[in-house]
Amino acid sequence: MNSSRLTILNNLPIRTQSSIKQLPQRLREWLFLSSSDQWLSILRIGLSLQLILYTFSLRTDWSSLLAGTGRGLGSRDLAEALLSLESPIIPRLGWLVVAAKQLGLSEATVLNLSWYCLTLVSVFLLIGLFSRPMAIASWFLHLGSVKSGGPATYGVDALTTIGLFYLMLSPLPDQLSLDYLWRKKLCNPQLLGFWRRVLQLHLCLIYFFSGLTKALGNDWWNGINLWRALTRPPFDLISADILVRFKHFLPITGVAVWLLEIGYPFLIWHRRLRRPWLIAILLMHAGVGIAMGMYLFASVMIVLNLAAFGPGILWHRTQAPDDGSSFSGSMIPSPNN
Amino acid sequence: MTRSRIALGWFTLHFFLIIAICSRQLWWLIANGLTIIPFSGAEVSAQPAKDISTTAGLRITRARPAKDVLFAYLHSAGIEGAYGFFAPNVPENFKLAFEFRNADGSLEYDLPNVESRAAGLRLGSLLDNIGRSDSEQYRRILIRMLTSAAWKDHPGAISAHAVFGKLKLPNPLEYERGVSPAYEFIAAYDFEQSADPNAK
Repeated sequence: MNSSRLTILNNLPIRTQSSIKQLPQRLREWLFLSSSDQWLSILRIGLSLQLILYTFSLRTDWSSLLAGTGRGLGSRDLAEALLSLESPIIPRLGWLVVAAKQLGLSEATVLNLSWYCLTLVSVFLLIGLFSRPMAIASWFLHLGSVKSGGPATYGVDALTTIGLFYLMLSPLPDQLSLDYLWRKKLCNPQLLGFWRRVLQLHLCLIYFFSGLTKALGNDWWNGINLWRALTRPPFDLISADILVRFKHFLPITGVAVWLLEIGYPFLIWHRRLRRPWLIAILLMHAGVGIAMGMYLFASVMIVLNLAAFGPGILWHRTQAPDDGSSFSGSMIPSPNN
Repeated sequence: MTRSRIALGWFTLHFFLIIAICSRQLWWLIANGLTIIPFSGAEVSAQPAKDISTTAGLRITRARPAKDVLFAYLHSAGIEGAYGFFAPNVPENFKLAFEFRNADGSLEYDLPNVESRAAGLRLGSLLDNIGRSDSEQYRRILIRMLTSAAWKDHPGAISAHAVFGKLKLPNPLEYERGVSPAYEFIAAYDFEQSADPNAK
């Protein structure tokens, strides 16, 4: 009895020591786990559709939002001056305006052209023609328009930038792109797995901090914040007369929102809970889109979630050892991975 | 091997930055008493308030080029800010209204307007930005910019009076009792027609 206990005690530190020694290797294996390119197809197609929606939704206000001082609703000059205080090398539309001035093109023409270019590169990205250059061009044009838009931006812009940044760096083209028709060369599955992990982990951090910050707000516990969010113009698509009938559900729903978000980084890896958790998050975003009219915000979150965790959780892959969804509560890749 | 090492190095730096920015923002909210955590940190809270940027405000004392590159990277990757969507609390509902005075003394009233709903969300974000700003100069510049845009619809106006305030919406119980939204005045600005049509 005593000797066996001693054996266990003696073995424990060795195992722990061994686990610690193996940790970097396991971490590396987990990060570079082979993945199919399904997720990349979803990200490329989803973000290109997102960009097309973005450009068309702002078609009539594009110039007004991005014009220089005194020529529109916003002031690109002011936004870019403030941006330069942070760093003069942050991409912006002003660079194109200045460059085009040398060619005799007016600001209005350049702004119009930037809209057409962003729409065109989004269409190219959608069909997967010249995927990498189009991913870079769409990232630059979108980022430029967002940064030059200054204070008239909101969460959807940063999330789209995040998606485009990873798309631009990921190993394109994917098998659903036109590029693949003549290239016929599969990308390194480990590299595909790495970029998928990056997107997965970033989403986990986004939800964790968003949920934690909400949980620290008093009014997310009593439903007042949810009420305010739904009755505050321009998000007041549902009449307050209807909402007030469900006032007893507001605290529960408010708490459910931040619990869903805080729980995401932990439970999205759980073998049994990941599917319902992902579906719940997708429904939450769909709900935000429908109830508050934040269609672009909802769609970009759905695209990022579907790309990061969809293959392997919502549907099973038909190729390549997937997919890096399982985590099984440890850093050891599960057999399904 | 080298490729994976580079990727690992980038990964470590990238996620360190994300976590640092989010943690700093969270700490700032706590230190400013904006959360349910009872904390009085006047000394801590004073520092981020100096930052011009709404971003991380990472203080780099090294050479300026390093700072430029770092901030450009943060913006390029979309990680310059934290992720507190409607958190810790939903912001107030800010409003801006204009009163244009014509040469004959008649008055015309207007609101900032945009064509599409998507732009309407951005306008709301811009008004939030004005309302949250501690800088009176910044607030004035942005309101002047919006006034200037609205002025185009009132070509005969010689002066404009812009009133900025916030709408306090009733909570569900107040709403049931028939309480109406309460308007709270924040600031008013007067602008005159200048010789330069672009510099009203």
